Formats: sequence, structure tokens, C-alpha cells
Amino acid sequence: MVGFIALLVFFTQSTDADAKVLVVDHHELISYELDSNNMVPSCPDCFPERNFLEYRFSSEALTTEEFLSSDYTLMVEFDDGIMQSAKALLQYETAAPMRVKAAIKRDLTEAIERLRVREESSLDYDTYKRLKVSIGLMTQDIVTQDKNAENRSLVGWVFSMFMFMFIMIYGMHVMRGVIEEKSNRIVEVIVSIVKPETLMSAKIAGIGLVGLTQIMVWSILSWVLFLAFGSYAESTGMLTDIMANQGVDVGATDLKTFMSSHEDLDVLLQINWFAMLGWGVFFYIGGFVLYGSLFAAVGASVEQESDAQYLLLPVMMPLLFSYILNIKILESPESTLATVCSFVPFTSPITIMVKLSMGVPWWHVVISAIILLITVYFMIKLAGRIYRTGIFMYGKKPTFREIAKWLTFRNR
Amino acid sequence: MTVNTSSALSLVDVRKQYGDHTALGGVSLEVPVGSIFGLLGPNGAGKTTLIRMVSGITAPDSGTVSFFGAPLKGDDIRDIGYLPEERGLYKNMRVGEQAMYFAQLRGMSKSEASKALKVWFERLEVDGWWNREVADLSKGMAQKIQFIVSVLHEPKLLILDEPLSGFDPINAEIIRSEINRLRDECGTTVLLSTHDMSSVDELCDNVALINHGEKILHGEVGLLRERARAGKIDFRFRGNLIAFTAALGAGAILHSAQSDGNGAHDLVLGIPSETPIENFIKWSSSEVDVLSCSPKVISMDEVFLKAVRSASLNHIIS
Repeated sequence: MVGFIALLVFFTQSTDADAKVLVVDHHELISYELDSNNMVPSCPDCFPERNFLEYRFSSEALTTEEFLSSDYTLMVEFDDGIMQSAKALLQYETAAPMRVKAAIKRDLTEAIERLRVREESSLDYDTYKRLKVSIGLMTQDIVTQDKNAENRSLVGWVFSMFMFMFIMIYGMHVMRGVIEEKSNRIVEVIVSIVKPETLMSAKIAGIGLVGLTQIMVWSILSWVLFLAFGSYAESTGMLTDIMANQGVDVGATDLKTFMSSHEDLDVLLQINWFAMLGWGVFFYIGGFVLYGSLFAAVGASVEQESDAQYLLLPVMMPLLFSYILNIKILESPESTLATVCSFVPFTSPITIMVKLSMGVPWWHVVISAIILLITVYFMIKLAGRIYRTGIFMYGKKPTFREIAKWLTFRNR
Repeated sequence: MTVNTSSALSLVDVRKQYGDHTALGGVSLEVPVGSIFGLLGPNGAGKTTLIRMVSGITAPDSGTVSFFGAPLKGDDIRDIGYLPEERGLYKNMRVGEQAMYFAQLRGMSKSEASKALKVWFERLEVDGWWNREVADLSKGMAQKIQFIVSVLHEPKLLILDEPLSGFDPINAEIIRSEINRLRDECGTTVLLSTHDMSSVDELCDNVALINHGEKILHGEVGLLRERARAGKIDFRFRGNLIAFTAALGAGAILHSAQSDGNGAHDLVLGIPSETPIENFIKWSSSEVDVLSCSPKVISMDEVFLKAVRSASLNHIIS
């Protein structure tokens, strides 16, 4: 898994060819002719050196044929109009990568900005830059003085995503297992030994535990790797170097101090891991048993996975809803939507993790947990009834009405 | 009706209803300990329902099912073995592992199961397959494994639903001899459900015939066949057919007659039950040249057909 992620990271490093950009400055706004056929930018700092991007300047545009046969990959063009319109044209043979576009945009913006400052004000550019301000907005809970709630909600969101993924993937495993036993007719022998409901519950429990084990292994591994890397960075002084680079002068830095001085990493320190993992496990178990029993009921009603599509729809819907709504909940964690979702048992396992990470009254979680438990209890019973009849039904695919009838059949 | 304690299995007035459909309408039967009992009947007769009740999957709506004198309860599964008609195994598990799993489900310990399995695997000639996946097995081998899995834990009662279906003649014979061996050497009681009458002829001590959820015939195989024989004999002789037939008179019924080209005639005669066959031989020898004379062998097939037909007739009449 780690190797896979490493590969992914490796591949996302750009493999683009270097961009060679021709800047066509028709009226020599930001460039001038140094000597014949050699135009340079008026402010070289605006166009810094980058390893993936090279600039050339000209006052004449190339024709299409000339451009294509040249070794330029991009051509940016503008004239006087840019001072009012603030627009330039980038022409390409093959589309430019995002970071090249971003670089050109930044550089050109700075160049034009300098020009405007010089021409329309009496400020010099450095003063102008100094005066420019971008207000940083800090958030704080008025009661708890908690400053990092938003960042923590991101962590909660990550938990939610894992929850969704595992319930979905392993839930399907349950369904497949049930279908296999039914189509292989093994179920008849086993059911002569144990009650069908027992078989169903055991299957859900077993597969659920596999999922749980996997989460635990991943979590522990990540934690160990993080600590290992952290202490390596600490001992080799890497942390101190980074701090120094950022203008902070410290004698030596340990991992904890390093983390608390960086907002992103500080979040990790702020999270109440015990609560998150503890409740995470609880809601995973609850959510998995809830959905797992539905998956089992679906499996018991059909003989092959391809037949299960129409039955899976109502089971997947609340699951997918939770996933989609979760984004909204991340945006406004205190909204009614977020609160409601954290109580409704079909969405709560997934959506409550965001609220948990931000801190939520204990009774809120407990009530949600109780609602979940009660629902799980009834769901297992319901699914059990469908399961114990469904596994003996062969032939046509049952309609929802028929399945509803099974609920009324007597035990055994 | 009191429960017979010498019965391995005792059903008293068992009924089962599924919605409008009466699967079993009051069936009673006794399976003697250490016998092979045939449960016969056409498809849809109620056999599977009955078997499911005895193997512990379902329970009757009314009536009792008794196992060795006591009402059937949960623990009894250790002493019952079940091979369903539609049978399967986990495809991706190894053979040995899976057999161990099922043995332990029935209450055997790992070591007991391991020992017993080795013996069985050898006996049924599948011992090389312990570590192979079930998906690699041929159909016949898989069926042998399934059979082993049902008998492994030395059950007191073995329920086999169409055990020979799907076997080639050689393997079918192996299974047949195993069933006999289990009864003879281990005292296992076997409840055999089938509509393959040749197995019934060979294996079963007693049978019960079910149709439309009701028992229409039961008894010892020998007796049933004798009853169905209804005094018929196969009679082969040389002589004058017409004269002989006349000489018979009202004393015997002529069911059928066939003549081969060489002057020999094959008759199926029905002699009255009071007349021992020896007397008839004596009498007929004085009339004609008797080549052979023996009681007609009635197969269970014929018993079956006769019983089903007369039962349907009764249905129509009543």
C-alpha cells in the first residue's frame, strides 16, 4: 500500500517537458531592446528563473507556421490594451500545464502591476508591495477559546471517508459471501447445523472484523512511520533547519515544537485521538453491522451478483447520500443538516466524525450512539427474516413486495 | 400413538403448511434403529419438507418428531448427518481444510476429525486431494467429499437425499457399499430419500411412499414386493397352450402369455394365495412339460407405480 502511494506521488511529479514561452510585447510595455534582436524584460525579477519554464521576449508575434516550426511551446501576446483590460492571450500547440499557466500569470501580473504603480502613482513599487495586505482570518470558539476547529474538521472528514469506503467495500464482501453460499448450496448443510440468523450474523461479524483489522494495521503503520520520520528529522537537525529557513531562530527543535508552530501539523496535536479512534471504532462497528445486514439480506434474495442491482439501490442510496452530504457538512458543520445527519442512524456513522473532530457535547454522541444501536438491533432482526427465507428461494428474482412477505413467514 | 423407543426416528402426525399449499398433511412413520429406510415419492411429494424437518432446518406446524425416543432438539445435530440433494462446497477453500471445518461444526475435535478424515479419504480413494482447492475437483470427487463430510462425525442417523445422483456407475457402487457398511458395521440408521428404485431394491430394509404430502404405502421391502406380487408366478413350459389354459380353469388367472418359435410358452399366472407354489408345480407337471416355475419378481418400480396409481384413483374417487 505504501509502495503504491509512493508510486502515485512519483508519477504526479511533473514529467512535462520544459516550457519555452515567447512573450510578445507589441508596445514594449514591460520589455525593451537591449541590442539588435535581443529584448529583455524591464524588471527581471518579475520573471524569475524556473527549471520548467524559460522566457524570451519580442515585439513581433510569430505567424502560426513560424511558431510551429520554432522551438517555442507557448506564445503570450498583449498590447496597450492590457493596461485597462488586464487580459493577455496565450496560444499553444499543446495545452499548457497548470503550473506553467500559473507561473506566467503571476509573472505577467507583477510586471504589469509595477508598470501601473509607476505610471499612475507616486509610490515606488517596494512601498506599494509593503502596503498591500491580505488579511488573515483567525477563527475562535468564543466559549472554549478553541482556535483550530476548522482544521480539525478536515481530519474528521478524512475519518468519514475511510468509514464510507470500508463500509461500502466490506459490505459488498458480505453480500458476495452470502450469494456464494446460496448458489453453491452449502447453505443447506450449514443451516442444518446452525440457525440461519446465526450464520448471517457470524458472517457479518467476521467480515467486519477483517475490515477493522485492516484499519488498525493502516493506522498503526502510519502512526509508526510518522513518528519514525519525525524522530529522524528531529535527530538530524532537519527540523531546526526548516525552522531557520522560515526565519525562526531556535537552538534545537523537537518534533512537538515543530508541529505546534506549523498550523497544518499543529492540528494533529490538537485532535483528541482517543475519542476519535474510540468512537470511530464504535461507529464503524455499528454502521457496518447496519449496512452489512442489509447487504446480507440482498444477497440472500438473489442467486448471482448481477441480479442484485435493483435491490442494492435502496441500500446504497443512504450510503452515497452520506458521502455527498459530508462535503456540505464540512463546509458548515454547525448547520441543521449536519446535526440531523449525525443522529440519523443511516448517515451518522459517516457524518458524525466531522462533528467529533471539532468537539461536540458528549451527550450528543451518546444519543446518536444509542439511536444507532437500537436501529442496528431491529435491522439485524429484519435482515435475518429475509435471509432465512431467501436462502431457500431459487428461480426468479423476487420483487420488493415478495420480500416484504417473507418478513411475515413463521420462524422455521 | 406412543413413541416407539426402538425407533431411531419417529414422526407422529406431522403437518406443514406453506401458505395455501399443504406440504405435509399428517404423516407418521417409524424408522427402526440400524436399518436403511427408504423415503420414496415423486417430485413435489413432500419428501424434501420432511427431510428438512428431520435434519433440523425447519420444524413442523403440528405433530412430533422424535429422535431415539426424545423430541428432536438442538444438540442432536451432533448425531445427525445430512447430505442434501442440491449440495455444494466452498470453491476456494482447500479440500482438507473444508472437511475439517464441517467436522468441527458437527462437534468433532480437530484431532478426531483429522484422524477420521484420513481414514475416509483413503477408503474412498481421494487421499491425494487434501491440499487441493475444491474448484480443482471433478464432479464425482466433489460428491465423494460431500459424502465424507456428512458421515465423518459417526452420526447415529444419516439422512441422504438422492445420494447417488450424479455418480457414475463405479462411484455409485462405492457409495452403495459404504452405506451398507455403515449399517452393518457401525449400526448407523440411514434415511434414504430417492426416486431411483434400483437403489431401493438393493439397499433398503423398509420404505415409506409419500405423495401429495401423505403417506400412501409403507412396510418392509420384501413384504411389499410380495404383496404386490399378488400371487403371480412366471411359468415356462412345453406343450399345448390352449389345452393347458383350459385345464387351468378357474383355479388360476392368466395375466399374459408369450410363445417363442420353438414350442415353449411363457406365462404369467396368478395362483390363489392359499395354494403353495409346490402344489401347482406338481399339478402342472402332470399336464405339461414344465421348464421353469418361480414367483414373479416384482421390482420396487412396479410397487411404486402401482401404489401411486391407486392413490391417485382414490384421490379422484374421494
